Amino acid sequence: MTLKKGLKSKVLILDVRMVNSNWEIIHIPGKPSYPPTQQPTVSVFASVIDPKLANTLVRKLNNIAPLENLRHVKRVRKSCVDGKTQLSVILCLTDENGTDLDSMAIELLELITCYQLSPFVTQVCKYAATTKEEWEEQGKLWPTSFHPPTYNIDGITGFSEEDSKVVFDYMNFVLKLAKSASCQLVNAAVIVDPSVNQIITSGCDEISSWNVNLDDNEVRSLGTDEASICHGVANGSSSLMFNLDGLPDDPRASCSRISCLNPWQWSLSPPLSSTSCFWHPLRHAAMVAIEYSSSRDRRLYPSIGETDERSTQLDSNVTSTVGFPAKRQKTNLTNVNNTDDAPADRVLSKPERPYLCTGYDIYLAWEPCAMCAMALVHQRVRRIFYAFPNPNAGALGSVYRLQGEKSLNHHYAVFQVKLHDEESTAVTNDGIVK
Amino acid sequence: MGSIESEDSCSTSAFMELAIQEAKNALERLEVPVGCVIVENKKVIASGSNRTNETRNATRHAEMEAIDSLLQQWQQDGLSQSDLAKRFSKCVLYVTCEPCIMCAAALSYVGIKEVYYGCANDKFGGCGSILSLHNTSSEYSNLVEGKGYKCTGGILASEAVSLFQTFYERGNPKAPKPHRTVVQS
Repeated sequence: MTLKKGLKSKVLILDVRMVNSNWEIIHIPGKPSYPPTQQPTVSVFASVIDPKLANTLVRKLNNIAPLENLRHVKRVRKSCVDGKTQLSVILCLTDENGTDLDSMAIELLELITCYQLSPFVTQVCKYAATTKEEWEEQGKLWPTSFHPPTYNIDGITGFSEEDSKVVFDYMNFVLKLAKSASCQLVNAAVIVDPSVNQIITSGCDEISSWNVNLDDNEVRSLGTDEASICHGVANGSSSLMFNLDGLPDDPRASCSRISCLNPWQWSLSPPLSSTSCFWHPLRHAAMVAIEYSSSRDRRLYPSIGETDERSTQLDSNVTSTVGFPAKRQKTNLTNVNNTDDAPADRVLSKPERPYLCTGYDIYLAWEPCAMCAMALVHQRVRRIFYAFPNPNAGALGSVYRLQGEKSLNHHYAVFQVKLHDEESTAVTNDGIVK
Repeated sequence: MGSIESEDSCSTSAFMELAIQEAKNALERLEVPVGCVIVENKKVIASGSNRTNETRNATRHAEMEAIDSLLQQWQQDGLSQSDLAKRFSKCVLYVTCEPCIMCAAALSYVGIKEVYYGCANDKFGGCGSILSLHNTSSEYSNLVEGKGYKCTGGILASEAVSLFQTFYERGNPKAPKPHRTVVQS
């Protein structure tokens, strides 16, 4: 299903009040943004050194006290004092509690004694510069290196009009999902392959009801789509709107069930009368969408070399990931020894099988919590777009900021698609469909 | 992380041995070798190991597998949400590697009582290495108090590490080839 053909007309019917021109795509960077002159700093011990000793000392210091989290900071500063060149070198970070020399490692203290250094405390910038302006300010404290952002992601510094429109359309779609189920708002997720402008899968929170008999989630996601259309048409112009905080304008609607906003709250839900469905406190929209996309992957790209029996077994797991792991078959060990041949099965399979969600984007109504945000790192999502921040538990800028955790093995780009004032009152046919 | 009584320390490593057995099972299935058991009243009530390669779902970590099996088991027994929350609050997890940020958060959401882990996870760890989600406090939720849990690392860590070494020496068969270079930042 491509948006261009299928979705736009539906969106028009659904909610003519969403207007593109009142939306804005804001990049949420990996570190909080500060004015260039107010960048956070950390204290270090440094010492003036004899330039002849520079090489020796730097080599020793890199061994004894590597500046692991300050790789952007240059170890040596060259300055000009009374017309003479003076070199200073960073010894180590200061202790959290103070600037007591005794907190230093013994090897460092020995080095200080040996070369008769006189440590002083100074400030260096905590984060690498992301702009030239920041870098120029940083150098006034202590020199740093500057590498322009290395995200190899289109659109990180701005979206073309056409790209923006696609983003708004998908965001519209995900907001429809978020409010389509009932008066209860839920979080919703849509995973998109932007290279072909195609929806891979979509999902909503399944915390309080999880239908384990879903055999084909693609049918289901289309079904939800249809349902939302019926709902929207039935409600006409009174269809539920969001205000700027992501709260519904309609007071009858409740936010209490939105998974990522209140991830600890599931245990307070009233008992369910229905026994036909399971509930699951961790089936947040993003987790559900990831599961659907992986089951789609298994269905569309069955591994070559795996027996039919094994594929069937995988498919039967699609409907219930809560199968009992103990019952699982051991993998045929002859495959184990052939791991070097594994690329062959990729070469043979056509079209190219995706690796997890590499290259895909995900749209979410609300900023994901730590569990979901980390799940999206694991699944290798390329970009995340969300409409509303999650001040209680958000992990993409509100409480945590996973996109800035350098140790993670994958980094996505994060954007908030912000709705502006006029959005909730505008009534127009323009914008969404042209 | 207080001192552990010798009897407790004995049963702690006994449960961790079971988790390591689960990790070995994962290794045989060509999965990243992480395993866990969940213990209630000194009895193992669930176990799990990594299934990320098999499912092509990178969130199917050992902890999530074990939690899911408990949820299914308990709902089949007809327990309500609040019953279930009470049961989780009595459960102790033994896992061979420090829970990642995702699992550490999930363990807080379900309200687990305590976690023992083997080796630290200095790339993804959510129980002290990168984030400290086990120390979640109520400031993060104005409706219900966020639940923290006690967390102790270093139980049979070297065994857990040697399983990882075995795995990575063989090479992860499902990783993309050639390996993408790590983004320099």
